[in-house]
Amino acid sequence: MNAADQPVTEADLHAYTDGVLAGADRERIEAWLRDNPEDAARIAEWQAQNAGIKAMFSGYEKSRPGDADMIGKPPTISPWSKRLAAVAATIAVFAAGTLAGHYGPALFEHPQLQLTAQETFPKEAQNAFLVYASEVRHPVEVFANEEAHLATWLGKRLAIANLKVPDLTSLNYHLVGGRLLPVDGKPGAMFMYENQTGERLTVLVGRNTANKTTSFRFASADSVETFYWIDGELGYAVTGEISREELRKVAEECYRQFPS
Amino acid sequence: MKPPAPETFEGQILALLPSLRRYSRSLTRSDSDGEDLLQDCVEKVLARRAQWRGLNLRGWVLTIMTNLYRNQRRTIVRGNTVDIDGAIDVAAPEASTDPLERSRLEDALNGLSEDHRAVLMLVVIEGYTYQEVADMLDIPLGTVMSRLSRARQQLAEHMKSDNVITLRRPK
Repeated sequence: MNAADQPVTEADLHAYTDGVLAGADRERIEAWLRDNPEDAARIAEWQAQNAGIKAMFSGYEKSRPGDADMIGKPPTISPWSKRLAAVAATIAVFAAGTLAGHYGPALFEHPQLQLTAQETFPKEAQNAFLVYASEVRHPVEVFANEEAHLATWLGKRLAIANLKVPDLTSLNYHLVGGRLLPVDGKPGAMFMYENQTGERLTVLVGRNTANKTTSFRFASADSVETFYWIDGELGYAVTGEISREELRKVAEECYRQFPS
Repeated sequence: MKPPAPETFEGQILALLPSLRRYSRSLTRSDSDGEDLLQDCVEKVLARRAQWRGLNLRGWVLTIMTNLYRNQRRTIVRGNTVDIDGAIDVAAPEASTDPLERSRLEDALNGLSEDHRAVLMLVVIEGYTYQEVADMLDIPLGTVMSRLSRARQQLAEHMKSDNVITLRRPK
């Protein structure tokens, strides 16, 4: 049978578009397209789609620095458990550091850990703590009796949908309230907590432009301690004049409660 | 850590990663979703290595990724964000491409169902024949053809020039 006599099907048109036809098959379709401009237009459209799709995704065919780690890491159940493991590992390091005393600062000064914004973040958290935690009558703008409003308002200013105010009652800290304040030049949120004895701590949430995710870091200035971490677009810092051990529990609790 | 030797199973997966990354991104709506899918797929592949029959590793992995994607899309609700960390690493779109056209095409792709998108990408991006796609996804050849046809029709519909509305200021 003469190949030119076979009817051209839609499957043929797709095959022609995707370049899987060769020789006589290909010529047969080309002859058909000369006489059938509607099909020719369809194919042109499909070929344009193909070109657009290829242009859009071909650049992703690349290796990345972390690729070998992806292959080598032990299987985990979920991103959540990965993070918990990272936190646990970091805490172990800090525990060791605390035992060794002078080790903590040395770890903190490790240059590869730092980016400019990340360096200023714990400093900003400490400053906010020092300025506001000592305020007796006006430590916050919105007090805990308006907690729902506080969450909506700060959520709006930071552009975080469903911002949650961490609940630290399990650690015997109750919410005093919160305020808006600049963090790295952008609107940030500060929540303040107090325990029975009036000891205060603050939780700072700020936008993070670098958009990296880090493990927990620890910063210490005089007697003010800060645990901070960065989770995608947001940075968090927990600051207080309390023991590292106690502060770590607060940080873990906040980490658990903030959506990732 | 030390990279695995090329002849090992891990080494072969590592060598496939760039093309797996391209496929995972072609299925998803953002760079971060693409990386998440890739990581989940690699974990699954490593856990299931005993099930590999020793032939066509890439096809086997792409099938696993496609199924993972189809299952996940029903549960994952994520913003259409591009994480900056990933974006630095990503090739800039071809300078010649009209960015508006590009984003319309992206919208059009995001409007496809998972099944249609997977078939389209396996054909267009990964260059598999229709029969190979049928085998990989364990569906009849006719289903591959109808999904491909439907996907292209839907994209064309979305890209039609009269879907672009020109804004005019009221006089």
